[in-house]
Amino acid sequence: MGVIEFKSVDKIFGPRATGFRALEDINLEIRDREFVAIVGPSGCGKTTCLRMVAGFEDATAGVVSVDGTPIKRPGPDRAVVFQQFALFPWKSVYDNIDLGLRNLNVSRSERETRIAAILDLMNLTQYAKHFPHQLSGGMQQRVAIARAYVLDPDVLLMDEPFGALDAQTRVVMQEELVRLARKNPRTVLFITHAVEEAVYLADRVAIMTRAPGRIKEVLDIASIRNAENWDSYEKIEDVMDLESFVHLRTHIWRSLREEKAAQHV
Amino acid sequence: MKKYESVYITLGGMKVQRKVSIGLATIFIVCMIWFALTTGFGIVPSGRFPSPSETWSALIHVSGRGYGGGDLSMHVYNSLRLVVMGFLFAIATGVPLGLLMGWSRKAEAFINPIFLIIRPIPPLAWIPLAILWLGLGDSAKIMVIWFSAFVPSVINTYAGVRNIDRPVLEAAYMLGMPKVRFVAEVLIPGASPMIFTGLRLSLQASWTTLVAAELVGAFYGLGRVLNVAQQDLYPGMILVGMIAVAILGWGTTRVLGMVETWALRWNTAALAAKG
Repeated sequence: MGVIEFKSVDKIFGPRATGFRALEDINLEIRDREFVAIVGPSGCGKTTCLRMVAGFEDATAGVVSVDGTPIKRPGPDRAVVFQQFALFPWKSVYDNIDLGLRNLNVSRSERETRIAAILDLMNLTQYAKHFPHQLSGGMQQRVAIARAYVLDPDVLLMDEPFGALDAQTRVVMQEELVRLARKNPRTVLFITHAVEEAVYLADRVAIMTRAPGRIKEVLDIASIRNAENWDSYEKIEDVMDLESFVHLRTHIWRSLREEKAAQHV
Repeated sequence: MKKYESVYITLGGMKVQRKVSIGLATIFIVCMIWFALTTGFGIVPSGRFPSPSETWSALIHVSGRGYGGGDLSMHVYNSLRLVVMGFLFAIATGVPLGLLMGWSRKAEAFINPIFLIIRPIPPLAWIPLAILWLGLGDSAKIMVIWFSAFVPSVINTYAGVRNIDRPVLEAAYMLGMPKVRFVAEVLIPGASPMIFTGLRLSLQASWTTLVAAELVGAFYGLGRVLNVAQQDLYPGMILVGMIAVAILGWGTTRVLGMVETWALRWNTAALAAKG
């Protein structure tokens, strides 16, 4: 199971009265094995939402829980993929992926099997012995995704994972993530400011307002995706050409544009 | 591994072989100038600075019959032993303290004030007290080396821990690391580039302090050789002592450098990748 729930969550950085109000009354339930993307203008607190599920930040008010248990601290049941990859530069690709499994006391033979499988899935097998810095950004992020996926977590938290990648690599990674997520579905909370990415990847997209961040609207993408059979297209550009995709994308764009405009008043 | 070798060899944009030959040529030229100024044209009188042949005979003297209470190997052995012991003792205490201070704000708040008081005292100023407490034997010298080598290893380790990227630390928390493993596999390697900077400074400080301590009072050691040679007005022997210290200092730094290159091989790749 992996149900993420935000219940009337506020987040204030600094003192309650005078601090920065980052989030206000966030209510969102992410169902088991659902892929939810949060989009919003920069500084709206979308990353803070993810960090609270990860256990890196506390809620000032309200409750963030996974499967009904309020989150107290970080843990391998909620694997995080960071924008800056956050690999251990002193460990090889293999050892980076292995570390979480060792912490979970998985037996050596099982670790070997699982790592071999994930390396194969992410096309990393030949780079197992490389250090992270010997790899391109896209490769490094693949390692970070493998490190998270290999734990077989209930919940996968992805914080603008493709934000640091160039446009072409980004597209390849998005396609691979879709492949991975359909083959091996997990509850995913995905933070991005790229609208197309959110529409392409997610089952539902939550749009946030500028700070203090609130959830303005939640769009159901999955029903349209299934009705139009997006997954039958191999390439992202084919999906992006579809009228249904364009319609959703434009809707989200407008919604974000309103937020941007409000910011300048 | 092939990949890294090429990185090392072209460090500084120059092939190692070429660098070594240029270095040797420089040393050769300096020796020629030295010979010319002393024996050759007699511009520098031998009472002020020894000629190469005087230095050579002083070397033969101290290696054979011995000088200042022992032969060269004995002096070298004693100095080297004390430096290594003092240095190891200093880093065995300094690095863990630096890790603790970098890791725990409480420890930092507690220990930092003590540091602020002790740091401005030059390590050499501890020598009289050390001799008063522990006499002219080894323990006083080890204590003084410890004082001088301890501080750079603490401070740099501390800074190294603070320099670890926050997302990397968060990744470690996320992976649910047991404490000991976290220290061994995240904190120490993450801080290690700075730790090694601290160790290099500590090693230099160890040699400086040891020679000074031996100058003040010792039964053996290269500082003792320098001290006796000064009293005997023996410039050739003074130079032999100085060169011996230089060679040992260079050699120990070299060994440390090799350990560093090996321990930070991941970082060499990182620096090369950054260009």
